[in-house]
Amino acid sequence: MYQYNAQDKQFLVERVDQFEKQLKRHLAGELDESKFRSLRLRNGLYMELHAHMLRIAIPYGILSSDQLRALADVADKYDRGFGHFTTRQNIQFNWIQLPEIANLLRDLTDAGLHAIQTSGKATRNITADPLSGLTEGEIEDARPYCELIRRWFNLHPEFSWLPGKFKIAINGAKLDETALRIHDLGLRLVRNEKGELGFSVFVGGGLGAAAMIGPETASFVPIVDILSYLESSLRIYNLKGRRDHQKKLRIKFLVRELGASEFSRLVDEDWQQTKDDPELKLNLTELESLKKDFALPIEPINLDGFKETVDFNYSIWKKNNVRSHKVLGHSIVNISLTKLGAAPGDATSEQMRILAKLADQFSSGEIRTTKRQTIVFPFVRKDQVFDLWKSLEQYGLSSPHQGTLAQIVACPGRDYCDLAKAVSIPIATRVQERFNDMNKLLDIGDLNINISGCENSCAHHHVADIGLLGMQKNGEEYYQITLAGETLRETHIGKKLGPSVSGETIVDAVENIVNVYIDNRQQEEKFTDVFKRIGVIPFKEKVYG
Amino acid sequence: MDDIKNPTSLINKDYETIDLVTFEEWIEDSDKLSKLGVGVILEPSNDVGLIKDKLDSIELIALDFRNFDDGRGYSQAYLLSKRWQFKGEIIGINAHLDQLQFMIRSGITRYQLLESYEGFDEEDYSNGFSICYQAAANNSGLNLKY
Repeated sequence: MYQYNAQDKQFLVERVDQFEKQLKRHLAGELDESKFRSLRLRNGLYMELHAHMLRIAIPYGILSSDQLRALADVADKYDRGFGHFTTRQNIQFNWIQLPEIANLLRDLTDAGLHAIQTSGKATRNITADPLSGLTEGEIEDARPYCELIRRWFNLHPEFSWLPGKFKIAINGAKLDETALRIHDLGLRLVRNEKGELGFSVFVGGGLGAAAMIGPETASFVPIVDILSYLESSLRIYNLKGRRDHQKKLRIKFLVRELGASEFSRLVDEDWQQTKDDPELKLNLTELESLKKDFALPIEPINLDGFKETVDFNYSIWKKNNVRSHKVLGHSIVNISLTKLGAAPGDATSEQMRILAKLADQFSSGEIRTTKRQTIVFPFVRKDQVFDLWKSLEQYGLSSPHQGTLAQIVACPGRDYCDLAKAVSIPIATRVQERFNDMNKLLDIGDLNINISGCENSCAHHHVADIGLLGMQKNGEEYYQITLAGETLRETHIGKKLGPSVSGETIVDAVENIVNVYIDNRQQEEKFTDVFKRIGVIPFKEKVYG
Repeated sequence: MDDIKNPTSLINKDYETIDLVTFEEWIEDSDKLSKLGVGVILEPSNDVGLIKDKLDSIELIALDFRNFDDGRGYSQAYLLSKRWQFKGEIIGINAHLDQLQFMIRSGITRYQLLESYEGFDEEDYSNGFSICYQAAANNSGLNLKY
């Protein structure tokens, strides 16, 4: 798999040295809090309710087993023995002491890991489909493009002090696992009528209080021109984006105020000045070299004589957690970290080390993270899936919840985050307790529940089948329900069901919604399709009736 | 921040004193001012595109970086230096130590740090990296990888 070379690692060390100096100046009173805040965020460091939170980048969600072991070491040495995989495919540590930050980051440089631009008003980690390169029918494997674009905007001199944060997602598959149209900027790999490869560009999507689906600003930008197009988009945002209003900093507000066509026109006008600049062309030699680095480490194997083991629990897990691979004789295995009462995405250092060991044994040493806060093993031989499952079961990692309602996405919520208005994880736990019958879960099928503790929407509740948004009403926790959001086939923001529901009765409301779905669905109909067909009224009647 | 006064003149590279006018003054009376060999101070909110037609008659341009989080000056510097090939100096005034690397690579040719940074090693902050990952207005002699 692709790895940083010595030059890249040297850069990471230089960045840590720089941040360490800034930290020392801050602790000595020579760098005031507001400037230090800007600088520490660009190094992934947050001041949370009880301690410091550090977010480490997992570029486009790909980790080697050695990197995962390095993260496990950090969890033990600097945190309380666990980390939290986020909905943007990164990992966070919640109990970090300020004076230890530089040592922690320095420990990670050798593994090629860093926290650069994992927060702050700059271009953030690029997210991608965790199945990139693994499934049939892809337009193109997005990973080499993710890496080239990530590099370009790494400490970019012009675009490191933007009006707001800037999140990019890149998808090369037909289905959109990345939810690219709810990103500040989403890139979709496409082919034009001549069969040439390029990107469709969508700008100004986002969740939060003003959820928006990003409009298309260019239907086809040739791959060689993508860097200059992205620069022009960022330049217009940098120069014209709102900086006067804390709640209007994101690019979606600029796009909305100007109108998508005017925004596109301004970008295009700027782009015409730079698109022929040879320095801004995508480096095709480097692209070819990256394609080799990202080549799949497996060959087709004919397993005609192989007989799958018959085991009831295994077959349930396999049905939910294992997908077919484009390479003959292989499978893609999804591992859920969901545990009752624990934050979705939490993993102990022991689990990380076990996953690293199993990845070496079963998945060519590669691990992927997903926006549903799960772990993917991308290269498992079909005749070894059972052995992998046995090992996972031994370590409590064989939750068969993937693709069921019990695989809930939740932010840390009010227990951990000082922005949150309500708790998230306890609600997830109560929903999981209510739906604890595997036969029922299998009958319900693939249904997403996402719970955000505030309007920052860290759990992406707007795009879930059932979304819950925590809020305060007269000093009590309430949840606003949205239904039928989706991003996979099309992008839709969920519709508000009605008045918010108290924390006490929210699980009843969820159960009622699920029951309306089951009672009305025809054959294999998905939740969003049922909602489109029958509308919101039957759900309203059941929840508020 | 508001108590920081902008300079009314700057010394150019030939050690001559150049009087500065504001962006508004320049727009108002550029015909007259363009004959006087003045410099122009731009605030982040000023539309730099409005001065591009008479760049040849501006002696130097000062960009105000006092607001740490306001990144518009970096795009202004890029446009002036790379796109419109401004021949005079582009001076970053009210500059912050921790942003020198970004300013210089965006096309700033000289800077004046805010007083509060006196005594710090500027060299250390303006050139702390051995590599850069993008082409910019000024690649500062760094190894390029992209």
